[in-house]
Amino acid sequence: MATAQTTAQTTPPRSDGIEPTVYHPREGGQGSALDIRNFNLWYGETQALHDTTIDVQKGLVTALIGPSGCGKSTLLRSLNRMNDLVDGLRVSGEVKVDGFDIYGPGVDVIALRKRMGMVFQKPNPFAMSIYDNVTYPLRVDGITKKSILDDTVERALRAAALWDEARDRLYTSALGMSGGQQQRLCIARAVASDPEVLLMDEPCSALDPIATAKIENLIADLRGQYSIVIVTHSMSQAARVSDNTAFMYLGRIIEYGATDTVFTTPKVARTNDYVTGRFG
Amino acid sequence: MSVSQEHDIPASGVTGLAGIAAREATQQTPRGRRVRRFSADLSAVGEPALWAFGGALALGIILIAGFLAMIAWNGFATFWPKPVERVELTSGEVLAGVPTRGGPYRPGAAVLDQLDAETRAAIAANDGFAHRTLYQTANFDLYGDDFRWVSDFEVAGITRPDDFFYIERQQWGVFIGRIVGLEVDGAAVEITPDRLAREHRAARQRFAAIRGLERGDIGRINALIERERLAIRRAEIRLGEESPEAQASIAESQARIAELQAEFETLQARASAIRAEDRTTRITLEEVNGRQVETEFSQIVRFFPANTLSLTEKIGIYLSRWWEFVSAEPREANTQGGVLPAIFGTVAMTLLMVVFVAPFGVITALYLREYAKQGRLTSIIRISVNNLAGVPSIVYGVFGLGFFAYAMGGTIDQVFFPEALPNPTFGKGGILWASLTLALLTVPVVIVATEEALSAVPRSMREGSLACGASKWQTIRYIVLPKAMPGIMTGMILAMARGAGEVAPLMLVGVVKLAPALPVDGIAPFIHLDRSFMHLGFHIFDVGFQSRNSEAGIPMVFVTTVLLLTLIITMNASAIYIRNRLKRKYASGEF
Repeated sequence: MATAQTTAQTTPPRSDGIEPTVYHPREGGQGSALDIRNFNLWYGETQALHDTTIDVQKGLVTALIGPSGCGKSTLLRSLNRMNDLVDGLRVSGEVKVDGFDIYGPGVDVIALRKRMGMVFQKPNPFAMSIYDNVTYPLRVDGITKKSILDDTVERALRAAALWDEARDRLYTSALGMSGGQQQRLCIARAVASDPEVLLMDEPCSALDPIATAKIENLIADLRGQYSIVIVTHSMSQAARVSDNTAFMYLGRIIEYGATDTVFTTPKVARTNDYVTGRFG
Repeated sequence: MSVSQEHDIPASGVTGLAGIAAREATQQTPRGRRVRRFSADLSAVGEPALWAFGGALALGIILIAGFLAMIAWNGFATFWPKPVERVELTSGEVLAGVPTRGGPYRPGAAVLDQLDAETRAAIAANDGFAHRTLYQTANFDLYGDDFRWVSDFEVAGITRPDDFFYIERQQWGVFIGRIVGLEVDGAAVEITPDRLAREHRAARQRFAAIRGLERGDIGRINALIERERLAIRRAEIRLGEESPEAQASIAESQARIAELQAEFETLQARASAIRAEDRTTRITLEEVNGRQVETEFSQIVRFFPANTLSLTEKIGIYLSRWWEFVSAEPREANTQGGVLPAIFGTVAMTLLMVVFVAPFGVITALYLREYAKQGRLTSIIRISVNNLAGVPSIVYGVFGLGFFAYAMGGTIDQVFFPEALPNPTFGKGGILWASLTLALLTVPVVIVATEEALSAVPRSMREGSLACGASKWQTIRYIVLPKAMPGIMTGMILAMARGAGEVAPLMLVGVVKLAPALPVDGIAPFIHLDRSFMHLGFHIFDVGFQSRNSEAGIPMVFVTTVLLLTLIITMNASAIYIRNRLKRKYASGEF
């Protein structure tokens, strides 16, 4: 935030103090999965997101990049209202899924989260068997029918490229798996309830290169089935897996566009500085 | 760090290091600097502190081990049969007893004056100290005392006669002396060990039969008659004395009382018959000076020739005394017999306390940690809870008596048991109020431990669950609580340990020195939470410090302490076992 204040003092703000987002995303052809309009977010008195506006294309992979503390994770966690757990949180603007505002009155947060699978930085399987982990989203819905649960486990584990490794140990503890397997299990758990959007918060940051490669392949496989929003610190990863990239800086979206354009010929000088490693 | 770097340390740095640098500098030689492997002043190295810490730990361990060893030694030695000595005194007096302990003492001037010159000189040479031994002479009914100090200089001779028996009686405690007469069916018979053993077995069976009839069947009928009387009283209160309904109900009850009375008579007659038969088998005991006591043989609990026992027989007696201790009721003002009611009371009270404290403490902690908005109010509540743990336990006792027993119990009596008034049913100390009081006493421990366990559940777990579309309650129920369970169990264990060892508040809310009826028995409704109970902790206090004969109580204090410690260790160990199993289930959940 110190940088933000310095910037504000040294360079006079443009018109209303907000840089307009440069906007050139690739179209997925199926419309938008998430429509974020003029979204602001405050943690107490600190504004973490400034007037963010992007629309996430259905079926494509959207990467959020930017230096630490720029609001990538905050934006991601706003999409399934995980930030609700934070005290003193305020928002304005809207985030629309299928035309209804998820911050509107009377929204069922639990139903919303079921439409948004989420994968976290560190693998966080529950202290249960692999089977119970994958079926957890269904069981909290009260589904107990064995055939449905069995089918879901196989579908989700296959989707997460974990079926072959896990099929013989479905009833052993998930905590006995390797870190990479655990993260894929978390992805399986996230897709078990058949969500529309997959939110991934730096899913590979705790993994070794081989496990990372597996997850990246998996993301490529899942592309098309789900709209994926992925936060990443690794620009090469963003370049490899995503269709569109949003570059964020100080809580603002500086540039949102097709990944190859953002990484080769960015339209904003600051994006260029970041992707070429001049700061960040 | 190389030596040249040490020279770069500025003088304003740590003085110890600067000192090292300075000392290193003086050791320069033309061929280069000698690098010392170790150099620091005493304040910088940890060794002295390490010795102090280690010493403190060792001291603590020695104290605890010594304490346990003393308790165990005294406790486990108590029931071992000891020889009976016949002591002739210089005064011509003769006594028989079991030497229990001895030690030096300083005889008073009056005693010294009566001694001959030689003994006096010997005592004077020993700085005025003489040695004496405490004999358990028993025979309280004859002597009016159980113990007697005998100074060594009084003793003319000690023998261990083979025919002296150590006889434990149902009443009047131990008898030490000979068995001189045995009468079966009114006729004297020859005394042989076999005959004694056979007649004793039969006599004890009769004794058990009489007791079973009186305590069990007759006790049950008495309880039923009492219930009918209360039913009459209730009908009078509820329906009005003159109303026809009341009259009908009273008549019904009276008919039932008459039936029960008849049954009572039959049982009573049967008991009298056995007792009459029992009275014909008698035994005559003679103490060392020839005074005789005659009693029913069934009144003898256990007898053995103390000086002719083989090792096997001693072990047999030792084990049978232990068995009696844990399985029988106390006799002789709690200084003999068993402590079954106290064991039962302690366990029942502790378990009942856990039943109350577990849900209450866990729910409170859940709300405080998971639901309440963290702020000034919650921190005030937290501080208050922590302070509650520091309130002296007797204060809880007073509160329990005033609030639970008198206020709550009194109200319950007026609403539900008006027929028994003015006799209180719940409006006095009882096992229910005692466990509630202890639950109140231990709830801070559970709250604090549960809160810590809850806050130790990683945020990522909760988020993972919430992101799956689980509600907050489902997250707590399926993810947080299982993960926190080992920590919650730890809190339970601490609460149990504290509760089982607490005595002071119990003395106010329901513990008594002798409770003839257990809180659980065969009379409907089988569990009587209003009853007073016995407690091992209070038993120790009562036997050791409140009985008519505290010398007789000392061994029981140690034995009961051993038992109480064993009980608490067993309860805690099983709780720890359960906790560790839970822990293994959720092990390696984080990395």
